[in-house]
Amino acid sequence: MTLQNFLQNLLNGLAIGGVYAIFALGYTLVFSILGIINFAHGAIFTLGAYFTYALTGSPFGFNGVLAQSRLPFGLPFLLAGLGGAILAGFTGILIERIAFKPLRARKADPLLTLVSSLGIAIAIVNLIQYLVGAEIYSFPASKLGRFFVENPAVFFEVGDSRVPVRTVQIVIFAVSMVIVALLTYLMNGTKLGKALRAVAEDTTTASLLGIDTDRLILATFFLSGFIGGIAGTLVGISVGINGPYFGIAFGLKGLAVIVLGGLGDIPGAVVGGIVIGLAEAFVPADYVGYKDAIAFALLFIVLLVRPQGILGRAVVQKV
Amino acid sequence: MTEFLNTYGFLIVSMMFAAMLGLSLYLPLMTGQLSLASPGFYALGGYTAAVISARIENGRYLIEDGLRYPATYILLEMLVAAVLCAILALIVGIAALRLRGIYLALATIAFVEILRVLSLNLEITGGATGIFGIPQTFVGNKLQYAAFAAPMLLICAFFMYRLERTRVGRAFTAIREDELAAAAMGINNTFYKVLAFTMGAVLAGMVGAVSAHFLNTWNARQGTFDASILYLAFVIIGGSRTFVGPIMGGLLLTALPEVLRGISNIDGLPEWLSLLLIDGRLIIYGLLIALGSIFFPQGLLTPDIFVRRKTKAPSTE
Repeated sequence: MTLQNFLQNLLNGLAIGGVYAIFALGYTLVFSILGIINFAHGAIFTLGAYFTYALTGSPFGFNGVLAQSRLPFGLPFLLAGLGGAILAGFTGILIERIAFKPLRARKADPLLTLVSSLGIAIAIVNLIQYLVGAEIYSFPASKLGRFFVENPAVFFEVGDSRVPVRTVQIVIFAVSMVIVALLTYLMNGTKLGKALRAVAEDTTTASLLGIDTDRLILATFFLSGFIGGIAGTLVGISVGINGPYFGIAFGLKGLAVIVLGGLGDIPGAVVGGIVIGLAEAFVPADYVGYKDAIAFALLFIVLLVRPQGILGRAVVQKV
Repeated sequence: MTEFLNTYGFLIVSMMFAAMLGLSLYLPLMTGQLSLASPGFYALGGYTAAVISARIENGRYLIEDGLRYPATYILLEMLVAAVLCAILALIVGIAALRLRGIYLALATIAFVEILRVLSLNLEITGGATGIFGIPQTFVGNKLQYAAFAAPMLLICAFFMYRLERTRVGRAFTAIREDELAAAAMGINNTFYKVLAFTMGAVLAGMVGAVSAHFLNTWNARQGTFDASILYLAFVIIGGSRTFVGPIMGGLLLTALPEVLRGISNIDGLPEWLSLLLIDGRLIIYGLLIALGSIFFPQGLLTPDIFVRRKTKAPSTE
């Protein structure tokens, strides 16, 4: 492998790994509060990408009920991305109310919640397909802004060669890292974060101390959906929106990421995301068909060898 | 009647297979273990039958017309598939069943995905195109495959009915209700969990072997995460506390698209609604799974169906 290839793989791996990381943080937030995996997170991710696409005023394809329709206005990309993320956040709240709250109120088996969120995910994904069809959509560079049209690639001087890297990849990595930093600050440096950690530690005690747990759970789902939506938009920019089902496949990989890093652990999710992103980027060209299995092979091995994840601490099961 | 059977032969046999696949997911669930591994074993069983039976010449799979494949060979293939699935299930089960709840579900999802990617890339499974021209035992109406499916389903149902009333079945239930209490009563939890997992795997593998002939072609799309969700829907909606639940769930949910198609043909429906009824099958499944788990956590059919209603003896004062 030449130095040039190595650098390109490294940056590609970091970019996709960064998206894996923030996507997985959405799972992590909900898991740390409720101890439940929100299987609908992959569907929220898909929705985020579609919302952004619609808000830029781009038209939909030939299939589905909304074929060839478009919004009467088009927002600049940054605003559209933000709007998409906010709408994804509200979808998160909606899912909480439909699939999580009734079961939580009844103190049902967590596996039932997994099943109900899975059902919602299937319904959302197929609703998208029903509305706008299964076509592949992509964000044209012209929508992203003049800067990306003029600078599709950035060149790095390495020794005597120039290594090109797609500008969007660098931006995606930067955006992911900013989100990780903001979320870390939110959890550790603000009153909201303190309250969230208190609820995660012990819901009953937290509510006795005057914390409105129900509102905090809603905030968690909004936050989770918000960053899930951003992740969807980022992947949409990088490789396009690969039909309604792409969020489900991505969602499964996200599960591998959080297990790898240790469920409910923020730094763990980031490390897990980067590890899987890099592992996929460095698959030799001859074995590229096996790329999609890497995350799951890692997941399987980690579950068997170290179920608490790379950074996680073993939890003693109390009876 | 003959016309009905001609039109719906394929559907009727598919319904029976679906019922058995629901059972294959229900078996590990009897011990409280949510395993989504069934599609992996189903795919493995199908590939086993396809690789054994499809003829290869010059590296290409040939489709032979009018050549009938002996039914006894299919029975042998089922046996081979069962053995292979049992071995794989023992290996995976012993490793994965140390995990509980969500971790086990994740491990089995990973298992299915790994098998899927392998079958997409290996030469023996025909890569992305899969294996074509799997020889047929019956020519004409696919309903003839009920000769396999119906006895299999009946045997399964009888077996499950007995299982739920024997020592082994009661041990399964005890583990589901309280693992710790079950262990305290001297039940070997690991043994029974692996047993339930392996039984489910063997059943899925055998159904896969017949399915490969029934469908005539086999590829990586047979064993996917979507299939896991579908089988899960059979169990959750049908009922997760008695074997009748998954059987009814599999039969009815597989027939549902045809019923919806029938409704969508009624005149006077708005276009978006009839389109929703035809294309929106999975939207409806998804909502049914979600609403079912919220409002009917034990499914529509519960073990009460076996309890004879006793008339209250008049109080003798």
